[in-house]
Amino acid sequence: MSLRSGHIHTAIATMRTNRWRSVLTMFGITVGVASVIVIIGISQGVKNEITNQVYAFSKNVITVTSKAANLTNFGVSQVPTVSTLTNQDVTSIGKIKGVTASVPMIIESGLVTGDKTLHGGIVIATSSELPSVLNQSLAFGSFFTSEDISSYPAVLGYNASVGLFKENVPLGFSFNWRGQPFIVNGVLNGFRVTPFSNNTLYNNAVFIPSQAAKQLDPGGGSLFQILARVDNSKDLNKVGGEITAALIKNHGGQKNFSVLLPSQVAKNNTGILNLLTELTIGIALISLFVGGVGIMNVMLVSVAERIHEIGIRKAIGASNRQVMSQFLVEATTVSVTGGLIGILLALLADLVLKLVTNLSPSISWEIIVIGAAISMLIGIVFGSIPAIRAASKEPIEALRNE
Amino acid sequence: MSLIKLEDVSKLYGFGDATTLALDEVNLAIDKGEFVAVMGPSGCGKSTLLNIMGLLDRPTHGTYRLQNRLVDRLSQNRAAKLRRDTIGFIFQSYNLLPKLTVLENVALPLAYKGVGVTKRVKLASQILERVGMQNREYFFPNQLSGGQIQCAAIARALVNDPSIIIADEPTGNLDSAGSRLVMELLSEIHKMGNTIIFVTHNPELTKYATRVVYMHDGMIIEDETTSIGEVAKTAKRRMYSLPKKTAEDDLAGVSLLMKVVPDKTEVPSSSGQAKSKQANSTKRKRRYMKAKRQK
Ligand SMILES: Nc1ncnc2c1ncn2[C@@H]1O[C@H](COP(=O)(O)OP(=O)(O)O)[C@@H](O)[C@H]1O
Ligand SMILES: [Mg+2]
Repeated sequence: MSLRSGHIHTAIATMRTNRWRSVLTMFGITVGVASVIVIIGISQGVKNEITNQVYAFSKNVITVTSKAANLTNFGVSQVPTVSTLTNQDVTSIGKIKGVTASVPMIIESGLVTGDKTLHGGIVIATSSELPSVLNQSLAFGSFFTSEDISSYPAVLGYNASVGLFKENVPLGFSFNWRGQPFIVNGVLNGFRVTPFSNNTLYNNAVFIPSQAAKQLDPGGGSLFQILARVDNSKDLNKVGGEITAALIKNHGGQKNFSVLLPSQVAKNNTGILNLLTELTIGIALISLFVGGVGIMNVMLVSVAERIHEIGIRKAIGASNRQVMSQFLVEATTVSVTGGLIGILLALLADLVLKLVTNLSPSISWEIIVIGAAISMLIGIVFGSIPAIRAASKEPIEALRNE
Repeated sequence: MSLIKLEDVSKLYGFGDATTLALDEVNLAIDKGEFVAVMGPSGCGKSTLLNIMGLLDRPTHGTYRLQNRLVDRLSQNRAAKLRRDTIGFIFQSYNLLPKLTVLENVALPLAYKGVGVTKRVKLASQILERVGMQNREYFFPNQLSGGQIQCAAIARALVNDPSIIIADEPTGNLDSAGSRLVMELLSEIHKMGNTIIFVTHNPELTKYATRVVYMHDGMIIEDETTSIGEVAKTAKRRMYSLPKKTAEDDLAGVSLLMKVVPDKTEVPSSSGQAKSKQANSTKRKRRYMKAKRQK
């Protein structure tokens, strides 16, 4: 053991004297370990957010969309035009036992003009029950109720409010849509923008009552989602099945829609994420491999440079194993140092990402331990060939080599 | 029973026409407690002989018994272990590791033996004190004079308490003061009961030896027992038969004795046996190379 600590001492001394070489050698390992940790951290963070339902909707909401995976398929600019869902579906779902609210989400077209014309915004026609499925409070005012539909009320997403009016609190202000003035009844708090959610869409939306929309746009918009609130979470599975059955009946036996329970929404999105993560980790592992080859290369050079030293060590009694262990320790010291720097970089990147982006990577201690273990393994694997080479030198040949 | 016993030991280097016969059927027995000086012109095989005795190298032919144990075909690891426990090396070029301090250098053989750090430092410290280097423990080799470095190297050779010290031209890089320092030290170690074998070109230094072995062309041509404190007879004779020292030699810093190449006229009559052996040497060399080629 004590000899090994001596080896580490020697290894550090060697790294100091060949500072640049060591830095360059470590680089591959550092980059590899840092990227593996950051990628896993980001992916874990996103997964956490998704599973923690940092979402536009409350728990216990079943999402019915016109196509599978539709939820992530459109942004503000891509409004789905044709939907397989109908108003009849909304009614059918509302009738199912256990469903306490059946909320349509209809995307409407047409310019919205207040103080300014809203750019990149969208009109969503919905029912007064939307607040009961939304996982968001209002910044100002209140949501419209079924009673005040006749007065053409509207609720603005946080960004839409800024996009339409100069006023900070535009309560009571009016804007025009399809020639009809609407009065602002409330402004929603901003939805936290998270990956794979429609929250950006909701932040830019103008919510109006679906009855008003029907009047002004008889052709109707696109019913892209129906949100069904279930009060008892134990009923979720059962209600989900019933919704599916009811809609298949409505659609003449066709299943051209998808019914997602809250847990499935998360799973749907993490599936894509897992694939991406695995792909990127694969690339990072290549970097680690290249880093390992770099270590092997440098260790071979180091052995060649230090043949005389090996000769001296053997002359004073070092066995082959002891010489081998010296060079293995050296390779491992380089790779582990590289790995530790990589871990520090990853933690730093984690901090920067948290401050600058709305990602919240989660780096667990397990990932850190794995990162350290991987770098150690690389040192041992790629250091062994040079170490064996060093150990097998004949002492007298080695001594003659100056 | 001899401590070291070489029988018909030969060492060949190279292949084909480039074959060198570095040792030519050398027979040598050294007893415990001897202080042997090995002399002879450059390239005559002194280092080869010492390397084989020190288990750094293996003979091509012949047998080597160390402490009555056959050791000429040991595996690298067994040789390393035996070397560590019984032999201490001192080199002309010191061969301390430049990145380690004097203390660390001296403690290194103990580390390979598995001695713990605390004990290692203590033992190394004690040995350094014995060689008068207690004030230089934390110096690096490049901060010391040649004589001091060699003293540290001697300490390193001694630290495992080996019974045999092998020193290949230990004073070769030292001035006369350094040489005396090193030889006095070796002499003291000899008094403690160690067996010492050293190579030198300086006849004066045979004063310290109990026996002087002269080599030429891979053979031992003379083997003289001397008493401590006196320059060996043969060495003395050779010293007087030296060519005159020239300014050029001084400039080149070449050891004068390197030039002494005994030829037939120079070989003293007292060693007639050696003379005849030498005459045969060329013939034998041819035979070896032929045998080698046929293989
Ligand atoms: N590794 C080697 N390869 C080839 N020839 C060698 C090697 N080592 C020594 N020799 C040859 O062997 C002979 C004896 O060398 P050496 O023992 O070093 O002589 P000395 O120490 O007496 O000067 C010389 O002729 C030398 O050239
Ligand atoms: Mg020599």
